[in-house]
Amino acid sequence: MKINAKDVASGALLIGIAVIGLWLNQDHTLGTARRMGPGYMPMMTFWLLMGLGAIVLLLGLFNGPDRLERWAWRELTLILASLVVFALLLESGGLFLSIAGLVGVAALGDRTHRPLGVLGLMVFLMALCWFVFIRELDIRVNLFPVFLGMG
Amino acid sequence: MDLFANLYLGFSVALSFENLSFALLGAFIGTAIGVLPGIGPVATISLLLPITFGMSATTAIIMLAGIYYGAQYGGSTTSILLNLPGEVSSVVTTLEGYKMARKGRAGAALTIAAVGSFFAGTISTLLVAASGPLLTSVALSFGPADYFSLMLLGLIISAVLAQGSIVKAIAMVVLGVALGLVGTDVQTGQQRFTFGVPELSDGIGFVAVAMGMFGIAEIILNLERPESRSVLTNKVDSLWLTREEFKRSIAPVLRGTAIGSTLGILPGGGASLAAFGSYMMESKVSKFRHEFGTGAIEGVAGPEAANNAAAQTSFIPLLTLGIPANAVMALMVGALIIQGIQPGPRMVEAQPDLFWGLIASMWVGNLMLLVINLPMIGMWVKLLEVPYRHLYPAILIFCAIGVYSLNNNVFDVYLTMLFGLFGYLCSKLKLEGAPMLIGFVLGPMMEEHLRRAMLLSRGDPMVFIQRPISATLLAIGAIALITMLLPALRKKKEAALAEG
Repeated sequence: MKINAKDVASGALLIGIAVIGLWLNQDHTLGTARRMGPGYMPMMTFWLLMGLGAIVLLLGLFNGPDRLERWAWRELTLILASLVVFALLLESGGLFLSIAGLVGVAALGDRTHRPLGVLGLMVFLMALCWFVFIRELDIRVNLFPVFLGMG
Repeated sequence: MDLFANLYLGFSVALSFENLSFALLGAFIGTAIGVLPGIGPVATISLLLPITFGMSATTAIIMLAGIYYGAQYGGSTTSILLNLPGEVSSVVTTLEGYKMARKGRAGAALTIAAVGSFFAGTISTLLVAASGPLLTSVALSFGPADYFSLMLLGLIISAVLAQGSIVKAIAMVVLGVALGLVGTDVQTGQQRFTFGVPELSDGIGFVAVAMGMFGIAEIILNLERPESRSVLTNKVDSLWLTREEFKRSIAPVLRGTAIGSTLGILPGGGASLAAFGSYMMESKVSKFRHEFGTGAIEGVAGPEAANNAAAQTSFIPLLTLGIPANAVMALMVGALIIQGIQPGPRMVEAQPDLFWGLIASMWVGNLMLLVINLPMIGMWVKLLEVPYRHLYPAILIFCAIGVYSLNNNVFDVYLTMLFGLFGYLCSKLKLEGAPMLIGFVLGPMMEEHLRRAMLLSRGDPMVFIQRPISATLLAIGAIALITMLLPALRKKKEAALAEG
């Protein structure tokens, strides 16, 4: 038996999502085929998803071998974290600080970055984003940290 | 004739200063991302969606369309000069194009790629203009049941033509439909799957899904692969074609245009499939097929014409039926809906400016691309010297600010992050993101039509096979599904036999 680990995992993922969906869908009235309630379409969709997930899983038991790939945890974490840093800083810290935060964290994801280059990139992107989003598109957001009182 | 009056209207819209400059901007950005590997039209358009809110709908669509077909032009440049396809659709161009460059005919390859694309673009634009009103009048006689079947057919074909396993692609379509269910139920006002989060009551943000799945996930994938860009560039000599090269290119360009126009209309088709199809055809029917693999100009002319033709005609299902043929068109639907326009057959009548303006701007844009590309090739190649480590923080920051500006809410940034994670997971499991996006866009419309159709038929599902239009569409879908599954079965059997 040649197991396609990717397909087995995909199938399990799809079935998992379908089960959660069906469980959550218990709150919604189904209605009848003639007058479908809010729960009717989700019910059909998630059952279909479960069926397809099962097929993917079963086929995956035979159509391999295809192993799972390694994950680039470092890059993944840093890139996602940079977005979180941006979101956390934006409203109280202002646009410029959150740009610096995002670029600083994201830059760690590539080992060839040099500190001075990152600094230059921050300044350049601050200027560019100010021009595009503030001057041209007029987005309502604080530029500087609120506690400095310059908002 | 009506067509000319309409085209006149179109050109008067497309040639306004604002639309002209945004078409140019779109073509410019498109060429740039076409040249740069690692960032494609889907990511770019989702990135720029928030920026288009301030524009009129017509201007927004004109610019976004420019990015899409601009990318087809730009992708060919690096394929020919560096053996480095900037886009998936120009992978085929590397086969003969790079060989031609090694033989010292880089200039000729670039010229035929651009001229072939322009010719194909012109023909397929006319095709869009001619078929648009025709299909629209057919579509206006559609009832809810027909619409449901049409969308189902669209989803089936987009899954059938997707890369990799068909079952997985269909599952991704269904997952997309499921994601589209989140939010307030239109008919009862009940909240579905929102977990009491007020930000989700309008549904999951389309931009967040697209940016996360295609923008953020792509960055992480690019970072884990070591960068490999050759510094060696082939010199571009004269851009002129010899008389023989020109003669040899005519038939492939014509055939490529035909193949591309046809495949572009199919859901799930689009530029890359068209380029591949044209290459396969040329390598079978060309008089010079023995030269394939050594730098035959047919292998550049055909696929380049085909991918551009397909990029244009993939607008047909969107503009006439409101059905996106591929992920880029799904983004266009998103852009239109955000602008308050429901894409569909009524668009031609309700928004003639948009419809005809877009068509005219496609042709104008193609002309611009010819000018942008050929004389400025040196500049585009220079762009490759920008290392990815400077590029990805810029992409990230544009994603973050762009998605925030949608509702001035950081919730959307977190949502984008989650879909970035999910997109990465999917690509590690070889689950395609494009079918999911199409399902996500079509899902809510399908539910509405399904409920309406069932209400009209008093709960009788036979309505879908009793109405002739609906029945035909479903039959086509079933045939497509079966024919694509059969060879897979056959291959399985052969493999099993070989082992036994």
